[in-house]
Formats: sequence, structure tokens, C-alpha cells
Amino acid sequence: MKEYAIFLGCIIPNRYPGIETTSTSILKDFDIELLPINGASCCPAPGVFSSFHLESWLAIAARNIAIGEETGRDIVTMCNGCYGSLAEANHLLNGNKELKDKINDILSKVGCEFKGNSKIKHMIEVFSEDIGVKKIQEYMKNPLDGIKVCTHYGCHFLKPSEIKKHGSSERPKFLDELVRATGAESIDYKDKTMCCGFGGGVRARDIDVTLDFTREKLKNIISAGGDCIVDQCASCHLEFDRGQAEIKKIYGEEFRLPVLYFTQLIGLGIGMGQKELGLTFQNIPAESLLDKINGRKK
Amino acid sequence: MTNIGVYICHCGTNIAGVVDVEALAKRVAKLKDVSLARDYKYMCSNPGQDLIRDDIKHRNLDRVVVAACSPRMHENTYKKVLASAGLNPFLLEIANIREQASWVHLDKEKTTNKAFDLINMAVSKVRMDEPLTSMSANVIQRVLVIGAGIAGIQTSLDIANIGYDVVLVEKEQSIGGRMSQLGKTFPTLDCSACILTPKMVEVSSNPRIKLFTYSEVEEISGFIGNFKAKIRKKSRGLDESLCTGCGLCQEKCPTRVPSEYDEKMGKRKAIYTLFPQAVPNIPVIDRASCLYITKGKCGVCKKVCPVGAIDYERGDEFIEEEVGAVVVASGFDPFDPTSKEEYGFGIYKNVITGLQLERLLHAAGPTQGEVVRPSDGAVPKRIAFVQCVGSRDEHANKYCSRVCCMYAIKNALLIKEHHPESEIFIYYIDIRAFGKGYEEFYKRAQEKGIKFMRGRVAEIFEEPASRNPVIRADDTLLGMVTENEVDMVVLSVGMIPRSDSSRIQKMLGLAASPDGFFMEAHAKLRPVDTLVDGVFLAGTAQGPKDIPDTVAQAKGAASGALGVVSHKALLLSPLISEVDERLCRGCGDCKDVCEYGAIELVTLDTRKVAKINPAICKGCGSCVVACCNGSIKLRNFTDSITFAMLEAALGGAL
Amino acid sequence: MPVTKNIIRINDLNSGFIEELVESGRKIFGEDVLRSVEACIQCGCCTGSCPSSRRTAFRTRKIFRETSLGFKESVLGSDDLWLCTTCYTCYERCPRGVKTTDIIRVLRNMAVRQGYMAEAHRMTASYVFKTGHGVPINEEVQRQRVELGLNRLPPTTHSFPEALRSVQEVLRLTGFDEIVGFDWETMELRGRK
Repeated sequence: MKEYAIFLGCIIPNRYPGIETTSTSILKDFDIELLPINGASCCPAPGVFSSFHLESWLAIAARNIAIGEETGRDIVTMCNGCYGSLAEANHLLNGNKELKDKINDILSKVGCEFKGNSKIKHMIEVFSEDIGVKKIQEYMKNPLDGIKVCTHYGCHFLKPSEIKKHGSSERPKFLDELVRATGAESIDYKDKTMCCGFGGGVRARDIDVTLDFTREKLKNIISAGGDCIVDQCASCHLEFDRGQAEIKKIYGEEFRLPVLYFTQLIGLGIGMGQKELGLTFQNIPAESLLDKINGRKK
Repeated sequence: MTNIGVYICHCGTNIAGVVDVEALAKRVAKLKDVSLARDYKYMCSNPGQDLIRDDIKHRNLDRVVVAACSPRMHENTYKKVLASAGLNPFLLEIANIREQASWVHLDKEKTTNKAFDLINMAVSKVRMDEPLTSMSANVIQRVLVIGAGIAGIQTSLDIANIGYDVVLVEKEQSIGGRMSQLGKTFPTLDCSACILTPKMVEVSSNPRIKLFTYSEVEEISGFIGNFKAKIRKKSRGLDESLCTGCGLCQEKCPTRVPSEYDEKMGKRKAIYTLFPQAVPNIPVIDRASCLYITKGKCGVCKKVCPVGAIDYERGDEFIEEEVGAVVVASGFDPFDPTSKEEYGFGIYKNVITGLQLERLLHAAGPTQGEVVRPSDGAVPKRIAFVQCVGSRDEHANKYCSRVCCMYAIKNALLIKEHHPESEIFIYYIDIRAFGKGYEEFYKRAQEKGIKFMRGRVAEIFEEPASRNPVIRADDTLLGMVTENEVDMVVLSVGMIPRSDSSRIQKMLGLAASPDGFFMEAHAKLRPVDTLVDGVFLAGTAQGPKDIPDTVAQAKGAASGALGVVSHKALLLSPLISEVDERLCRGCGDCKDVCEYGAIELVTLDTRKVAKINPAICKGCGSCVVACCNGSIKLRNFTDSITFAMLEAALGGAL
Repeated sequence: MPVTKNIIRINDLNSGFIEELVESGRKIFGEDVLRSVEACIQCGCCTGSCPSSRRTAFRTRKIFRETSLGFKESVLGSDDLWLCTTCYTCYERCPRGVKTTDIIRVLRNMAVRQGYMAEAHRMTASYVFKTGHGVPINEEVQRQRVELGLNRLPPTTHSFPEALRSVQEVLRLTGFDEIVGFDWETMELRGRK
């Protein structure tokens, strides 16, 4: 039995709770338990809040880590943004005693302390390393043969690579390998590693620019023949799902490309239904994808 | 009772501007055993030197202290003065009152006091110095040159032509090195082989050059004037003495594998020579791909060889050679751009390296000089060169590789001249055209319509259907991001130290610069020497450079090596450690700490005692410290001298 | 006699801007990170890599050039400065090791302090003051949660008012309320346009 403290962030609990339930239930099958971090807040969104005031961003991130540390477990998050925020805060505070003392001075006024003894991990690491590709393969009940997936790694898990240390950010492979473990094909597409456009506060301030990013990615995926997009970040997930609805509204363009968090894809491979996976709550229906999967079964 | 003369140099205003030299001289003159103390504007000048010489003769001085600049400047000058006046040159001490006083402090009074302390310490030492004689060691008057590219070849020819023997060892099966891989050279566009092969032939026919090819130096022991090298002559799988170089074996061999010499742009046989003008023109059997050796099949080469030279089981040979000096000319490797993942080398077929293009352009290369692209063999009409690949890069190599701007311009011009309708782009950060005729060459390229795009290429991707690479870069001059679909991309990769350079480094005890290349003894004044006496550097092994600089440096290295081997004997510095064999317990602690390997344990009667090799000992004193019972002393830096200097420095407080 | 108008007088630029940049970011990132902007050789790799630069007027490279030379008003008042999504691609590739994204964030901090904060960003900040979340929950998702077998509200500041008070206190202590212009009494942004 392995235990992690789960940092939920904002988008998963408040917009895409299906990602949480799917991930939790799959992890149970692998004997991994997620403990709640009571009273966590926004991570806070790294590109947004660090752009406004670095000290405030750092203090709130440190508070989240501090209360997570109280569980005595390493902290896992499902969103690249939350991962980026907590991992960078962890790195800065562990590397600078003066800074750490300053932040802890603030945290002491609300009764907590950043110690820096919990690792910050991303859900993708739990699946890639703790569980591993082989076990996922064996776990599949209906392998997703014939499904063409276009993966989107997002930005803040891998970069900056000198801090995150998950290997090169130019041609990562681990998400594609997990996709292949489900039996699906992971296909290449133009500007695969490009940002979705959400981050840095751009979505709030200049949504037309953000949607231009998203539109370009979606077009490239459709062009390459992808049946769906599989991501590992809640923010990117929102961007591709809700973004398609917004693009339809503003530009009149429709893509109807199903958007799956990687655990939702794995869930499909073990026969979980749309409702269970939270796909029916999403903006873009996953019908076309399920039809293709079921069609193959016949 | 000694007569010490102290000479305080003004060094113009370098010293006198901060130190009160006149007052200092008066104060020093009062020191015990100091017969006279003078101050003078420039002690190193002829009149300055004469002052010392005259005083030694007429004032019976038997010890001299010169208070001036660092001994690294003029210690030898003053030593010669003492010798010429009949005084042992080791009865001289230099007090560095410039680099250690006037150049680093501002307060005049305090600095003058410090200068006094430094001189006082020097006086204490010189008082107790003993006269010493330099020993001499015999010199083996031959030079070992490691590497037979253009650098090694040039060095060898220079040494041989002056009349000394050379042992030239080349790792590959033929001499010629990287220059033999090149087609035409910048800025003159003369053919590399045409200017190289005459020198190669000269090497092979020169009676003073003993050439070992397909060989590596495995071990070197010894010291300047007396090196012993163990050379492994790798087996070619045939008897060289029988081989006539007819080439039938190569023709009939059925196996084809990617050719390293062609940078994998073409294929070679399992039994192969590198290029038509190879010296020697004898092939090698590649044991990893030979069907007979790996599977016991084929054996065609043995069947067809008219002189029966093939000998699959032939083993390596070991040869020992004794030399007096070594020149390292082991060359470079091209940077492997696989790690620059954003450029897609190894993933996109039509992204190749500069050296790969060089082989395509070579008249005797895998495509007979026709540039065709890997994915479909089509002639690319639209080509982009990407500069600074793996160079000037905090994530790869920080240094500039010096030759890439020029080789890209050269190859661009060659392609443009062959196919005037081609569209060629060179993406750069800066164009470095520093040499003779280089800037003019760059202008010529512009005039021929080659487009220079200022912007470091951000990423390369591929159009899936056509396999055309697409370059994305900021055109910094226009201020706009651009995309450029081309037929082929050439990555101008830089030079990196050769893969076996760390082995050579360890073997010889050489230092490496931060960039990984072998380090020269002094960046400006000793560009071909290393800090290991008797070992010299030539060519790209010391750092990226073009052919003109390589040849110039090779000639410099020859001169350096000749400086050693042209003498029958070498004078060795006597400022080394000395073992009192009566006291030595043979514990070996000194041997363990000696960084230079200068100490051996030898048998004396029934005991083991430490023996110091005067040719290797640098006089660092580590053994003195390690010695368990004080049986080693450092000549003219004994404990008594050290304490005397300390007393002087602390004003007699000890 | 014609008067030259289209020329930049280098003497008129703000040569102290680099020191201001260093001072603003020093405590969090360390001086070296901020000073790395001076190592820039304007090679353009950042801009060539930037997904924003190829669809807007934002030029990553220009921000660093202007910062280095001291175009203080132009940089801090720039709209384009806010078009970086912090994707870090330039940061990964810069051959001079310029800490691009860190510098941009510090410049943004300085801009905010000068009063250049977009209304939409003030709104995002206000959600955190009010709920602890930049993206707070809504009625619909509360229903979805229940359907999925979760609690109506997640175990975050949404469920723990004490925790929300802690977050608010932290933001008071860091002075974020002053920077954004948040009124604790009305629990709203001051002077909302």
C-alpha cells in the first residue's frame, strides 16, 4: 500500500472532478491511496500569480506544501500548473535559507511551517514509475487498438528541465508510452510540444491569443488524423475542452475532438463508462471516440 | 660570516611609485651580514646587471638578493650574472616586491614595510643557501609524434628534415586525419587531398620517420629526454609485408556496412582502405563485420589475394620505442548533434552535419561529389546551413568552434557554383571571418546570392509527405519570426576533443582546459608547450583551429621538441628533494604522496630506501612533509631556512 | 532646417533599470538570475521558439534588449509583456543561459507595482481573496461532484473557512491586498471599472 497526499488545485475539484474520481479509482486497483490535504487553496497558478507578486505566490505555495507535509507523505498533483508552482516553490525555498526563513516567518502567523521534506510529484510519475507501462498493459481489459491518440505534455511538468529534472523537454516519451500501453497508437503532429496557450495569465487578459494557440494545436491534431487528445494537465485539459466550445462560439469553427486526461484514457481501457469517467460532463462529447472503440470490439 | 649584496629595483615607477626605495635600501643595509644595499632604476638592464657583477668582483660579495619583480621574469637573468662573475648561481634570492607588494597595495608606508619584510626573509634564506650544481641527464634524440593528421605530419617532417628521428604513431589505418576527409579548403578552394597527399608521401618515404599506422600508444613512462613508449600495433588481419595494395580483396568482399570515414553517408566493405591515396595503401579487416571472423563463412578475400597475405588469426604486436620528447597531435571529433533534439538530427533524414556534407561534396566520396539528400537521393535545390550547433551554447559547449562559419560559407559557395539555381541560406548569430582572405570570402558568398539570415535557429520540424525540413528562426534583423521549408538542412557542428583524449591525458599526465582540449602551458607565451616537460601540443588537440593555424602550430611544436632532443644532455634543476639514506626507513610514504612519480624504493644493502629521480622531481616538498622521520630535505628550503624566514617575517618574535 | 525626430538618444534612457530589476527579483531568485539578461547576444533563439511571438507583436528578444538598455517606460507599460504564457521554451534553449521567464515575471511584478495590472487579472486575484481559489467552484460542478460520489465541496478552502482565513492573512502579510487594490471591508476590488 503506497500513500500520497493529493493536492487538488482548482480546476480538477471545481471544473473537472471526473479526473479526480477516475485517477483515485484506478490507483486503488494498484494499491495506491490518496490522502486529502484539508484546507489547501489555489496552488497558486504559477504563471499568473508569480507575474503579479512573486512573494505572495511563494507564500501561498509554501503554505500548501506545509499543510501537505503535515500528512507525512509525498505530495502528488494532477495538474502541470500546480506541479510547476509547488515544485518551483520547493526548489527555491530549499535552496535559500534566508528566503525560507522569511516565508516561514509569514507562515508562522497562520500556524504552519514549510520544512521541505516532502517530495512534490505529478500523477504521471506515479503511473510511469510506481506502476509502470508493463502493469498498465496487463491491466487493460479492452485494449484501445486502432485509436489514434495525439498527446499533449504541457509545459510546467518538464520545464525548466534544470529544476524539474525529468529528462529532455524537446522529445519526451513517457506519456506516449503510457498511451501505447493501453493499446492505442500515439501519433506525431506538428508542434507537438507547443504550449496550449492557457498559462502566464494570458487566458484571463487576452483570451483571443490563447484561443489562437489552442486552435492551432487542434488543427494540427485533426490534420494528423488524431481521434482524441490526451493530456496530463488540468489547465491544458480545460483549455482544450472548454476552449473548443469558446472557439465555436467566437470563430464558428468546430473540431469535436474528444479531450481525455491520461487516466481517463486508461479508464476507457478497463471498460469504465463515460459517466464514470466524467466525460459526459465535459464540453466536448466523447461519443465519436467511444463509437470507434466499441466498433473495434465488434 | 657572509657578504650579502641587496639590490632594490625601482622598476621605473612600478615599484618606486609605491615603495620608498631609497629609505628601504638604507634600512636593509643595516641588516646583519648585508655588506651593501643599492637601489637602481632597472636592475634587469645591462648597467643594472653590471652593478651586481662589479660588486661581486670588487666587494667580495658571496650572496646576492635582488628585490624586484617576480622571479618568473628575471631569475634566470640574475643567475647568469652571478655565474659570469664566478659566483654559484644558486646563491641568489629574489624578493618579489612588485607583484607581491607595490602592484597589490596602495598605502606607501605599509607597502614599504612589507617590502622590507620580504627582503629580510630573502636575506635570511640566502644566508643559509648552499651552492648547488645542476645535474645533467642524457637525452634520447628522437621524438614521438602521436597522431598523423596534418599537424602530426607537419611536425614530423620538420623534425626529420632538420635531422632528427621521429616515431609517428597513427590510430587509423592510414595517415592524413580529418584533412583527408575534406574536399576543398577555404578560402582558396584548393583541393585538400592535393595539398595533403604530397606531404603524406613525404612522410612515408622519409628515412628518419618510423611510421606506425593502425597503432596506438598504450603506455608512456619516463621523463623529459628519456621517455619509453609502448605501442600496440593492431592486427589488420593480414601480413603487411606481403600486401601489394592491389585492392582485389576489397573489390570482392560481399559485406557492406556504413562507412565511418564517410560519416555514415556511404558504405564500405569489411576489408577496406579509407581512401584511394591512403598511406600505407594496405587494407584492414573489420573484425566486427567480417563474415569469416564472426560466422566462419565467406573467406573470399583470402581466396582471391594473389600473394596470400590474408591472415585472419594474426594478433596485435607490441613495440617499445625510446624517445626524448613527445608531441601530441591527436586531433578532434565533430560534435554529435543528436543531443540538440530540437534540430531533429537522427530523426529527420534530411538533416545532416557539416562533415557529412563534406563527404558528399568530396569528388572521391560516396556520391562522387554530387550532393544528394538522404531521404530520396534527390538533388536538393534549397539548402539551409545552421551555425553554432553545439557551440557557443551553455547547454552543449560554451566555446566558439572557430572554423564553422568558414566551412559553411565554403560549402555554400561550392554548391552554388555547381548549381547556380540553388537557394542557399546560412542561419547565424555572428559570422566569424577572422583570417587572411576570410572576410573577402564572406563577401564573395554574399555576392553569389547566398542569403545570410541572422537568427539562431530555434527548431526544425519536417513536412511528413515530402520529408522537407522546415526551419523556424527569428530574423533578428527584420524583427519577425520566419519559417523556411527547404530540401535539406546542414548543421554546422563544432569541434570537440577526440573521444580517446582522456586516455591520452591520463597516460601523459596532461591538463585539460575547461573546454576539454589539452591545455597549453601558457595561453599567450607558451602555446605549444604543456606543463609536462618534454610534451608538446600541435593542432586541434589543443583547441579548434583551421588548417593554416594547425600547420603553424605544428611547426612550433617541432621547434619545441627539437629544443629538447637537439641536445645530447639536459641540465636538470638541482632545487629538488634529497634523501639522507642513513636515516631513511624505507616506509614509502614519500612515494605515495609524490604527484609526479619521482620516487622509487630501491634496495641499499639489505634495506629499502627512497630514491628520488632528479629529472622528474619538481621540488614541491610534499615528500618532505610526508616523511615519517625527517630524512628528506628540500635543497635550499630546509626546515632551518623556513624557520629563519619566519623569524624575519615576524620581526624576531619566534 | 529639418529636426530629427525618429532617433533614440541613448543618454535619455534609464541606465539604472537593470539595478532596479536586480533589486526587485534578488530576494526570490538571487542576483545572478536577474543579471543574466546582460549575457544576451540577441541571437533570437527565444523569439524563434516563442509561440506568442509568431502570432502577436510580442518579441521575447526585444524585451531583453530594451531592459538591458533601459527603456523602462516602454517595457513596464508594455501590453506585449503580458503575452508570454510562461511556457519556458526560450528558457530551455537560450544559449547564453539567460533566465528568460524569471526575468519576465520580475518585470511584470515591477509593472504591477507601477499600476499596470489588467482588470481581468485583478479579478482573478480577487477570487483568491474571496474563496482561496483562482477558479472557484460553481453550482453546476457541485452537482457533478455529488453525482460522481464526491462531497459537494472539495476539502480545500471551500470546505474549511479557517483555512481561507489563513490564506487571506498570508496575503495581507505579503501586501498582496495593497498591490491588487482589494478592500477587505467590501470584499471587492477598489475602484472597479
